Amino acid sequence: MITTSLHTDLNSLLPEGQIITGESKSHPLGNGGFITVFPKTEKEIERVLKYANGYEKKVCVQGGGTKRGFGGLMETADILLSLSKYKGIVEHTAGNMTITVKAGTPFHELQTYLAEHQQKVSLDPAWPEYATIGGIIGANESGPKRLGYGSPRDVVIGLQMVYPNGSMIRTGGKVVKNVAGYDMNKLFIGSMGTLAVISEVTLKLRPLAKYESLMLLAFPEGKFESIRSFVTSLLESMMEPAALELLTPSLSETLTGKKCYTLAISFEDVESAVHYQEEFVRSIQPVQTNLDILHQKEAGAFWEKLYTIGPNGAIDSTAKETEAAVKIGVTNLDGLHVLKESALMQDSHNLVIEGHAGLGHGLCQVNLKGASDDVLQAILQLRKFVEQLNGYLIVRHLPYVLRQQLSVWGEQPCHFYLFEGIKAKVDPNRILNDQRFVGGI
Amino acid sequence: MALKEVKTNDKHIRNLANIVGGARSILYHKEDLLAYDCDGFTIHKHLPKAVVFPKDTQEVSKLVKYCSDNHLPFLARGAGTGLSGGAIPVNGEVIISLVRMKRLLHVDFENRRAMVEPGFVNLKLTNSISDKGYYYAPDPSSQYCCTIGGNVAENAGGAHCLKYGVTTNHILGLEVVLPNGKIIEIGKNGIPDSPGYDLLGLITGSEGTLGIVTKITVRILKNPEAKQTVLAYFDNVSDGSRAVSDIISAGIVPAALEMMDKTAIEAVEAAAFPVGHPRDIEALLLIEVDGISAGINEQISQILHVCENRNVREVKVAKDESERARWWANRKTGFGAMGAISPDYLVQDGVIPRSRLPEVLSRINKISEESGLRIANIFHAGDGNLHPLVLFDARIPGQTEKALAAGSACLQVCADVGGTITGEHGVGIEKREEMRFVFTDEEIKAQTDIREVFNPDNLLNAGKLFPSPGRCAEIKKEMKEAAL
Repeated sequence: MITTSLHTDLNSLLPEGQIITGESKSHPLGNGGFITVFPKTEKEIERVLKYANGYEKKVCVQGGGTKRGFGGLMETADILLSLSKYKGIVEHTAGNMTITVKAGTPFHELQTYLAEHQQKVSLDPAWPEYATIGGIIGANESGPKRLGYGSPRDVVIGLQMVYPNGSMIRTGGKVVKNVAGYDMNKLFIGSMGTLAVISEVTLKLRPLAKYESLMLLAFPEGKFESIRSFVTSLLESMMEPAALELLTPSLSETLTGKKCYTLAISFEDVESAVHYQEEFVRSIQPVQTNLDILHQKEAGAFWEKLYTIGPNGAIDSTAKETEAAVKIGVTNLDGLHVLKESALMQDSHNLVIEGHAGLGHGLCQVNLKGASDDVLQAILQLRKFVEQLNGYLIVRHLPYVLRQQLSVWGEQPCHFYLFEGIKAKVDPNRILNDQRFVGGI
Repeated sequence: MALKEVKTNDKHIRNLANIVGGARSILYHKEDLLAYDCDGFTIHKHLPKAVVFPKDTQEVSKLVKYCSDNHLPFLARGAGTGLSGGAIPVNGEVIISLVRMKRLLHVDFENRRAMVEPGFVNLKLTNSISDKGYYYAPDPSSQYCCTIGGNVAENAGGAHCLKYGVTTNHILGLEVVLPNGKIIEIGKNGIPDSPGYDLLGLITGSEGTLGIVTKITVRILKNPEAKQTVLAYFDNVSDGSRAVSDIISAGIVPAALEMMDKTAIEAVEAAAFPVGHPRDIEALLLIEVDGISAGINEQISQILHVCENRNVREVKVAKDESERARWWANRKTGFGAMGAISPDYLVQDGVIPRSRLPEVLSRINKISEESGLRIANIFHAGDGNLHPLVLFDARIPGQTEKALAAGSACLQVCADVGGTITGEHGVGIEKREEMRFVFTDEEIKAQTDIREVFNPDNLLNAGKLFPSPGRCAEIKKEMKEAAL
């Protein structure tokens, strides 16, 4: 009955064919809606939000759905607002090295378009064919090449948003340097859609690398002192790796066929500079290690494989086991300890655990698969371990039912009241992605 | 040694003095306060109530709490080099000067970070770590004296931010005293992406209106292996600006890409660091590339080729570090050099999409002709950040207003072509009204809503960043138009 009246109301706001009832409720990952709407214009987003705000309806926001298992204590909201049909390039002047795109544009589509102009967005998120630029920004997602190129906060220069009350608000602008007013972009990057619906994103671009190589340095004996000493030498040198990622033996086996700790070192530059850096790595290669070098497309293929090893909320999982993914932030080289602990837990908890740690920036990704109780226990134990290192653990993917049994975001910080204050100012009726973020925001 | 006494009937001054340990840490006599009536934006002046010099976070917190409890307006100040008036006490504020909190607290080379107090001078950080081959990237022209606390407040840029980003891209953690006196730590332990809204990003560049930063953890970088600098002279501005676009389109990311026009060249050559630029050229480019040594020559030859294709008159590569340093000293002292050719100058800070450079320069030329004031242009051409310098003589009645109006008109041009009104100097009090060129009332309210969360009584640095609502703004605009 409620759904019927909701459907009638929404029908008056959006053209036929852009509303679907029922399809998205009771999803194992939650974050669904009794009714799914597919706005194709900003005006339509505005109408839906104004309506929801006026009638205090809860709205879940979704792009490609890859992060459906990321946070959220609502199985089914009133409305699932999908931006999957709000896509395309709004403005691109190659000479300015900036682009404005609609939020629902899949990342891979964007990169393919830019590659024709020898340009790229310097982010490397997971599941690029599914993930939308809006979702990547909203969840503040970055990949191994963050070391060389930064994260969403370094590449987003402007956002256009629809606030819960229907106001169209622009933050930042379309130029690469801008300090007019507060740097409001930052507030929305990583806000998990709890403040406003991002409709357009303006990004700073980089030229495509002229040449690329990937060095896979395998440590068959798994000596951490040796890994640490090599990494320190590389970081202390003047070489400029775009990524310096340590893989657990299990992940290394999946990606390279060798079951041992492996460092994936990426160089992107003009060809002579890439080969020069390869030579440097060879010159400091530790004894009892094996080195493989992949170039150009082969190097690219490795990374593409890495981007699709974790769970994807947009694909209905056929696995009987529970799949989970966590993001861990620690001080740079502490990533070594995190990977070691994760690998040990694989056996102690009877799980499949694959992880990688960015040793230039301290962010680690760990994927877990197994019985749900074991997965939960492992996550809690890992969080305890990470907190002893003064770091944090965020659960990036977990089924809805299990998310209720732990805190996805960990402890609230002492300045949590500022987060609440911000939420209350921007979304006072708490209609957007309610309970999806830190402390139930 | 006996401490001087605080002799005043003002109980607030006595109480503030008590918090910071007595008379040696407070200024309250008019003659002492005069030095604090403005910052690097000297057109508007106002005396503070007092200037206090806390030595640590606890004292800052107590001062802030006292001001908040007693409803005294207050603001924080670093070296006072800001160019938009962000540290001017327009409401007779108590100035909390952070210059005594100037220690380098910790350097962690292994994890590439350093922790400083806010009064620590920008260039000192690089000087303290350069022996180990590291540096701090943001390099505003005033880096020899500006403080990192001030850089955080303004989200300062610099010539090399084209490749390396501005201050916000290098801040990993902050300790902040909120306007109620509470001390918080964000970006804990310098670990990126801490859960929650990105307060680190929000506070950086908030021009001291959301809190007072008392400790800063910054990213430090390894020196690039190699560096080469090119100087190119052009007979017309459009060839120079097209060369800028061609360099970027060739897929090169220079560390810096600077441009100066004829008037600017006249000034720098007449000032303290001349390098012998020809006086009859219309534009020069200063281009620096850095990175892996093996790749540098290839990039330099591409740059030389681009310049030749754009009819460069002369192009040369710096022979050695001392020549490079001379070219940079000439460029980095460019604003001050205006003093050699004009009694006063007003610097603006617009940003435009790079592709609109020739059009914008010709419109700025027109503004100069219409106002009868010379305008020199020094800019970070690589990222489209223009610094039109309006030359005037404040002793001539009406010229200051004319200069302000011409500066504002330049910003309108930047906004018209899809750019913005400030790239690195901040809004302060100078560009409050110009905020309307780029934001709607609703968008400005979205920002003041956030200020209210942090600074609900608006006692901290009030009257900055945002236009005053209603009629006042319209009257001010009319005055500017009349002056033009």
